[in-house]
Amino acid sequence: MSKLPGLFDIFDNLDQIPVENIARWLKPQPSLAYIENFLAQRILYPQTIPITEADLKMDLAILREALRMQGPKDKKATALLGDNPFLNTTLRKILIPSKFLNFIPDLKILTYVFVDGLLLDRKREDFFEDLWTIELSGEISEVIGSLLIPQFKDKRGILQLRIGDKNYQIHPGTLIVIPCFKDRCEAIFKLKQGKILGKEDLAVEVYGGKLGLMVDGRER
Amino acid sequence: MTHFVQRRVRIEKDIIARIYRTLPGKGKLSVALGQEVIPEEIIGTGQFSSGFRILNLSNLLEVPPGEIKKYLTKQINSRIYNGELLAYKKGWLLKKARVVTCPVDGILDFINEEVGEIRITRLPEKMNLPAGVYGVIEAFDQNLGQVVIRTQVSRIYGLCGTGKMRDGILHVLTKKYDLAGRSMISAKFDGSILVNGSLISKDTIMAGISDGVNGIITGGINASDYKSIAGGRLIFPKKLENDIGISIVVCEGFGAQALGEDIYELLSTFEDRFIQLDGNSATVNLPSYQSSCMNRIRKHKLSDDQTLSLTDTQLVDLKIGARVRVVGPSYSAEQGQIISIDKSKTLLSSKVSAYLVTIETARRKIRVPANNVEYLG
Repeated sequence: MSKLPGLFDIFDNLDQIPVENIARWLKPQPSLAYIENFLAQRILYPQTIPITEADLKMDLAILREALRMQGPKDKKATALLGDNPFLNTTLRKILIPSKFLNFIPDLKILTYVFVDGLLLDRKREDFFEDLWTIELSGEISEVIGSLLIPQFKDKRGILQLRIGDKNYQIHPGTLIVIPCFKDRCEAIFKLKQGKILGKEDLAVEVYGGKLGLMVDGRER
Repeated sequence: MTHFVQRRVRIEKDIIARIYRTLPGKGKLSVALGQEVIPEEIIGTGQFSSGFRILNLSNLLEVPPGEIKKYLTKQINSRIYNGELLAYKKGWLLKKARVVTCPVDGILDFINEEVGEIRITRLPEKMNLPAGVYGVIEAFDQNLGQVVIRTQVSRIYGLCGTGKMRDGILHVLTKKYDLAGRSMISAKFDGSILVNGSLISKDTIMAGISDGVNGIITGGINASDYKSIAGGRLIFPKKLENDIGISIVVCEGFGAQALGEDIYELLSTFEDRFIQLDGNSATVNLPSYQSSCMNRIRKHKLSDDQTLSLTDTQLVDLKIGARVRVVGPSYSAEQGQIISIDKSKTLLSSKVSAYLVTIETARRKIRVPANNVEYLG
């Protein structure tokens, strides 16, 4: 049976997503019945593309929850591959299937959705998980940037970051993307009331690319 | 530039197909191989016990559920016949007296004072099985009480459904955009198949079961209601067969989705006619009611492995003039003809770029991404 490719056709358990979980990503929140019917239509017709901004937001909310549903699984069974098909926990990589760009072409939004779905509720196991490489996976893999997750002690924390000749200040609760188109970029940071990779100040080389460096200072 | 879209057959008109007629209980078939039959011809007789009927006396009498017992005119476990007085409440001042008569022959065997319902289990009755269609007997099995008839049908392929093969007389209950409330279902539809417009609720389905309705054809259904009648999952095509005592075929999708005009118009021509539907395979068979079809049925032989392969989707290149149906989130379920296909992509407000097609529907012209349509023909 031939079928057209779609954003959700790789997920075979979309109907198991609790509708309330999808609703929490949406403002204003549509009725649960509306969301459930929308989801059912997406299962029936995964090849369709959103027309309006509201349709896109629904798709993104479903994708976040579909990603969340992928893990963590039984660690004994998947010790080598990590606990999720979109996360390589050994190499600390976020793997975004490149075909998703056909349906969500904005790389920032797509990465944001993957970070929400995969890492926002994930228990951090060690400080190495403060830094992730973001990779587009498919026939040809391509590194597109890095994700930095500062560990703020409280809301007074500030991350001062220098990339190239530009300085940035990141406060708790914010998420930004800093352009960094080179293959590798030097990031010099200093944290007040917090740490990255177990340090308060450090200079590290991170992967750059089409996306750049995403810094996620949101509370976990 | 080619734009592949999915093709889904919704209707096949006037095809020669096999249909199955089964005795509702133990009995005897009176047919021979190769025999030609007409719709009203009796092809078997059996003893039939069609289960039970539930009546909500609390609603019918307008009394609290715990008080229904004192208005009953029959004792529990007593026999009661169709049309006999079942319950009576005297009128008082401006309030009219309430009279409830029994809709079937049966035994009053259960009273539920928590919800105000009573159950009447039907008495076994002798029932004749009519052929229902013009056709030729291809096979029969006395043990199973089943007859295979080669006949001419128009077939509707729905999207999903639930319930085994059932048949009955078709009644179109609403217009294609409307929805049937539970108050529209009554005992007069016992054994019928009903056509509902855009949305069927769980309450209406329950009322259908209670009143002996055999099947419902609907445009849309809420996903939560569908899950509750189809085994709790949204998997298409369905892997497990279910039956809740009524067969449902959903033709358009989830939420309020008006029945497509192609399906609605075809069903309307079968008002008061015998039809069959199978919820589990989401198909509806509309047997031809014109005797002239016998010539085609006689000449046309079917292979042994006749299957419903048309439910599989295929890809076709979209061309101007094609009839399509919108399946995406906006303008969902609208049908029309392609009048133009863009040569370049358009950036949509969702920030996604797509090739748009212009569709002329009965009411307006709409522009949607080519990905969001399915090909009808």
